[in-house]
Amino acid sequence: MGLPGRGLAGGLATTFRTMTRRSITQQYPDVSPDLPPRTRGVIALLEENCTVCMLCARECPDWCIYIDSHKETLPATTEGGRERTRNVLDRFAIDFSLCMYCGICIEACPFDALFWSPEFEYAELDIRELVHERDRLALWMDTVPPPPPLDPGAEEAKEIAAARKAVAAPAPTGDRHGEGAAR
Amino acid sequence: MSVLDLLLRLVLLLACFLVLPLVVGQIEHKAMAHMQSRLGPMYAGGFHGWAQLVADGVKFAQKEDVLPAAADPWVFRLAPALALLPYLVVLALIPVGAGQAVVSADVGIFLVLAVMGIGIIGTVMAGWASANKFSVLGALRAAAQLLSYELPLVLAAASVAMAAGTLSLPGIVEAWRPWWLLWQLPGALIFLVAGLAELSRSPFDMPVAESEIIFGAYTEYAGLRFALFLLAEYAGIVVLGALTTVLFLGGWKWPFLVGGLGWLWTLVKTLAVAFLVIWLRVSLPRLREDQLQRLAWAWLVPLALVQLMITGVVRVMG
Amino acid sequence: MNAAVTVVFALLGVLAVGSALLVVTTRQVVHAALWLVVALGAVAGCYLLLRAEFVAWVQVLVYVGAVVVLLLFALMLTKAPIGVSEDLDAGLAQRVVAAMVALATGALLVTVLVDGFSGEVIDQGATGGAPAIGASVFRSWVLPFEVLSVLLLAALVGAIVLSRRDVPGAGAADSVAGGR
Repeated sequence: MGLPGRGLAGGLATTFRTMTRRSITQQYPDVSPDLPPRTRGVIALLEENCTVCMLCARECPDWCIYIDSHKETLPATTEGGRERTRNVLDRFAIDFSLCMYCGICIEACPFDALFWSPEFEYAELDIRELVHERDRLALWMDTVPPPPPLDPGAEEAKEIAAARKAVAAPAPTGDRHGEGAAR
Repeated sequence: MSVLDLLLRLVLLLACFLVLPLVVGQIEHKAMAHMQSRLGPMYAGGFHGWAQLVADGVKFAQKEDVLPAAADPWVFRLAPALALLPYLVVLALIPVGAGQAVVSADVGIFLVLAVMGIGIIGTVMAGWASANKFSVLGALRAAAQLLSYELPLVLAAASVAMAAGTLSLPGIVEAWRPWWLLWQLPGALIFLVAGLAELSRSPFDMPVAESEIIFGAYTEYAGLRFALFLLAEYAGIVVLGALTTVLFLGGWKWPFLVGGLGWLWTLVKTLAVAFLVIWLRVSLPRLREDQLQRLAWAWLVPLALVQLMITGVVRVMG
Repeated sequence: MNAAVTVVFALLGVLAVGSALLVVTTRQVVHAALWLVVALGAVAGCYLLLRAEFVAWVQVLVYVGAVVVLLLFALMLTKAPIGVSEDLDAGLAQRVVAAMVALATGALLVTVLVDGFSGEVIDQGATGGAPAIGASVFRSWVLPFEVLSVLLLAALVGAIVLSRRDVPGAGAADSVAGGR
């Protein structure tokens, strides 16, 4: 307790101080927001990487990923070889009116076919338009930013660590299968 | 005073009456926004949303004028006019510069206080005629508030009138000296607080407490009539600012630049008081109904009487 | 009084009497209070035309601004339905008696006023401002004024005693300590 009216004066001082400072309002439509690299805006599909394994569709808590496919038989590449079957993607769609942006599909994808893009301006007047088919999902790939660099002092990326190990201690016998050395 | 002169004054008065409340409203929009670390309206009119209230006015004019089925039609329709007109009359009596009032009255201060008290009847009529229990509650609160705060308001004004030895508003400004700021300080504070309560402005906005009774007496109003009530509120702020200026802050007097620019000082002081009113609204929480009555009767009335005594003693001794 | 002022005065008088009649005849209780506002305002206008500026504004401040608001407040606090209240009427006998009392009061007032002030002429130059009223109240009529103020003080004290519940002996029924 102090002088009577100290609380009132304190409140007035606070508001006045706030008034003299810059306000933190984002001028969104005029100035596009400065989003962090891992922003979850929309999900992009890199079709070439998709093997129609259906893991994303199964892991999706909302069941908002629709995948149709058929099997194709490829003729044997060598004489007397076996024919191979391959999954061909017919439809890949994400219903963004159901999606809750949890990102589990992206985590679940073993082949790096799904990516987060920070784009968020895809509102529609008709809710059915929010189902993005594969061509639309593929378009988002252009907006996917390159992966941000690792934090200083962070553990090395797995593939680089494995490659370094292979160079430092050459394998005594046979091949060592480098994990994802292609990257 | 020729007819032409009077006509010019009336036109000026009407312009002030329509423009100044909008200015205060815009100051409120912007000051309140920045006090809350926002920007407020930014688009209407181009530059920092200066035309927001004009746009609001156009919007209000387009809206349907709803009359509740169970309402009392005549009383419901008349109420906004009755709430607004007293402030117009009061504004006409404010001397903005030496001899520059639209109408001058011998007992100006009395006239002003009397007319200001009428505005409440508009609110009470609105609340009753709306056929809505929240409206009636709001009207009851407004009436109770006015009845309590009229007394300290009149007493504080009486103290200045005693000090100046006149009841006319220009007379009070003529008699005003800078040291009155200290002498009449309690009176000024009481006047301002009681005036805020009469206008139902925060922190005394129980009559329109939105979390309890929606919008009090004005709940059922829409369109132009609602706009009139809003205009009345902001005109009330202008009038309160102008009255405080004339009674306690020396009106058009200032250490320099007095000559023909007296009206400018009146305007500056009025807007400063209006800013204070807005600032208080942003900063302070709403009082409870019993706290409000306690403040009026246990603090303001005794303080006003003490101020009256001090004024009397200084007058007799000096 | 010149012609214009006389005409306006007569119009205000008609307005005052007409709205006063409506106060007692309307079946809507809040409308009665609102017509009272009109009647009192018209009377204030009459005072103004009679050069009694101060009295006129006191009339507005006290009666229109405070008394009627208090009246409306009390009405709303108890019962103020929108529309006609059927029970807001009186039987023939009561009407006759009320009319007689009203007429008698009016006659009495008119007699007294005509008797006392029939020769008076209002000085158009003088304004019935505060100084004149102040001088007559605090010089010639100071004793009645003081008596009245003591009466009002007694009423105030009485109201406070009646409304307080924490005074032992007062408010006979319940001596529950009020929260105030």
